[in-house]
Amino acid sequence: MTDKLVIADREFQSRLLVGTGKFASCEIMAEAIEKSGTEVVTVALRRVDIENENDDMLAAIDRDKYLLLPNTSGARDAEEAVRLSKLARAATGINWVKLEVTPDPYYLLPDPVETLKAAEILVQDGFVVLPYINADPILAKKLEDAGTATVMPLASPIGSNQGLQTRAALEIIIEQANVPVVVDAGLGLPSHAAEAMEIGADAVLVNTAIAAAADPAEMAVAFKLAVEAGRTARLSGPGAVSRRASASSPLTGFLRNK
Amino acid sequence: MLFLFFGGVIKVEVLNINGAERQFADGVPATIADLLNHLGIKAATVVAEIDGTIVHRDKFAKTNLRHGQSIELVRFAGGG
Amino acid sequence: MIITEKGLDQHTQHWPSRLDNVTAGDVERALSRPAGTYSLEKLLALVSPAAEEYLEEMAQQARQLTIQRFGRTIRLYAPLYLSSYCINSCRYCGFNKDSKSERKRLTIDQAAAEAEIIAGEGFRDILLVTSEDKEHVGVDYLAELAGRLRGSFSSISIEVYQMSESEYAKLFAAGIEGVTLYQETYDRPAYDYYHPAGPKSDYENRLAGPDSIAAAGMREIGLGALLGLTDWCIETLALAEHAHYLMKRYWQSHVSFSFPRLRPARDVERSSFKHLLTDKNLAQMITALRLCFADAGLVLSTREGADLRNHLINLGITRLSAGSKTNPGGYSAGCDSTEQFAVDDNRSPAQVAAMIREQGFEPVWKDWDSAFGIDH
Repeated sequence: MTDKLVIADREFQSRLLVGTGKFASCEIMAEAIEKSGTEVVTVALRRVDIENENDDMLAAIDRDKYLLLPNTSGARDAEEAVRLSKLARAATGINWVKLEVTPDPYYLLPDPVETLKAAEILVQDGFVVLPYINADPILAKKLEDAGTATVMPLASPIGSNQGLQTRAALEIIIEQANVPVVVDAGLGLPSHAAEAMEIGADAVLVNTAIAAAADPAEMAVAFKLAVEAGRTARLSGPGAVSRRASASSPLTGFLRNK
Repeated sequence: MLFLFFGGVIKVEVLNINGAERQFADGVPATIADLLNHLGIKAATVVAEIDGTIVHRDKFAKTNLRHGQSIELVRFAGGG
Repeated sequence: MIITEKGLDQHTQHWPSRLDNVTAGDVERALSRPAGTYSLEKLLALVSPAAEEYLEEMAQQARQLTIQRFGRTIRLYAPLYLSSYCINSCRYCGFNKDSKSERKRLTIDQAAAEAEIIAGEGFRDILLVTSEDKEHVGVDYLAELAGRLRGSFSSISIEVYQMSESEYAKLFAAGIEGVTLYQETYDRPAYDYYHPAGPKSDYENRLAGPDSIAAAGMREIGLGALLGLTDWCIETLALAEHAHYLMKRYWQSHVSFSFPRLRPARDVERSSFKHLLTDKNLAQMITALRLCFADAGLVLSTREGADLRNHLINLGITRLSAGSKTNPGGYSAGCDSTEQFAVDDNRSPAQVAAMIREQGFEPVWKDWDSAFGIDH
């Protein structure tokens, strides 16, 4: 299969990225990740809980098999995001970061101004930056100009499971992008993921929908299949939703015999 | 901080760890590695920041701590 | 981008056979895709021979889309030819250095006087045109002229010999906001043949021109191929690929397409051209491009006759020139310099404006957006 996803200098077979939050346990998380066929998992950075030494979730993720993509969730401005990125890099030696600057604790919507600011700093510092943004086509182009490796526009707010609320804007971003477009956040059902791939997204990122399912491992399988189906459909050149115009008065009659 | 207490000297020092003040009755641990041991935290998965500067894991045993410093101990957790 | 410095690369060698293999089903599929979005496959279907019988439907969709995006308006502009002295030898042009045309170049004062006549007709959108005469009509000349015209025109564009990015930037700062630069033909062997000598003979340099224009900050980029030099279907595909590349890379600049069809010109033997387009071909090209580029300007000059232009504004055209004189000094009375090409629509600007209104559109002389543009 030659249809690979290329981000920065790496190639991936799978176009499904998986988040590791909200799982009931490390074992369930590990099984879901495996069943999803993903090659990239996101993780967050959190303060060690001194009083309660938790299980170390990182041990459950095989670092040789999956690319760890730290996110900067929790950062409320560019400075915090940059700091978290550097901490993550120090921890893993990986310079990939999912840039997430979310000052609003209700909808967790990303701050466009701080995200752009942080992206510029991080790119200069040698990071491979994957910025999480609202579906704003201009912002997407500005981030691309700044050198980010992808853009990651949301479909609907994190955890809302509402699918492609931002579909029209996503289509514009996809049309205009020169970097891979990864639709992230709000994909609640495999059909949402398939739809994102059908409209031309290069990949999707799913977390809540898998972690919160009754059977996360099986839901991971469903998402894997949906992403593959959507991508294959996209590449096969969909036939069409009929939108044929009805001719009222002929515009081209004058061309007869010309 | 030195208290004169019935002729004895007790050295109580403080570190701000992850936003909370923590007292060390016998003075702060000598190095980060010692601190992690003291707290029962595995070093392998932790990143440390002292007063805003990142300290790499291979330097944990060599980085000395001083009373009054702010330490951030951070590790990876689940996230989207 | 499929177009590389080395000419159309090996993908495009398959375009002719792909065009021949387009089926009615392919065309119907292309027409069912959202109007105004581009893919090479879609455009291939729409410019193919198989699409000819779908022309009425293409026209309907193109008209609907154009009105949706541009409103019921047609913008008017006028060309001002500054010089016909040329050091290139383009085989199709009345100004080529070996032709016996009557040459003329205008001083800045003369140019300003011509511009005043143009403004008197109602135009607020002017296109400064010159042959490859950099020595006399150079960057400083154009900058100075732009400065003088700024008060009378809300939009000044140029269609001149190719410049460097810094030269374009200088002109942008002087108030020029758009540059038209035709590739003439994307077919390299044909390009080499038709441009045997002079600065314009460098194919790769020409191809990189729009990049410099956009990088210099120009708001409007005008693209085009001289229709009739080679197979128009292939040219349209190449043109679209070029536009698509520019739109994605220079996302803040606006791209327009022009449709210069080969016209009789002094010392140019028309019968030697084997790929002349019919009116039907032209209509197909215009509607196909509109259906792929919802917001691109589609520009038609007075090369085309009155009747055809009247109909084509219903097929997606958004800008027309009117009352054009394609010889330097042509607007002033008693000038006998040779034209670059023979104009076919000889109606006055007022007559063209009346026609536009009859067709249900509003003739727009001044684009209000530009008036609030750069603060000079």
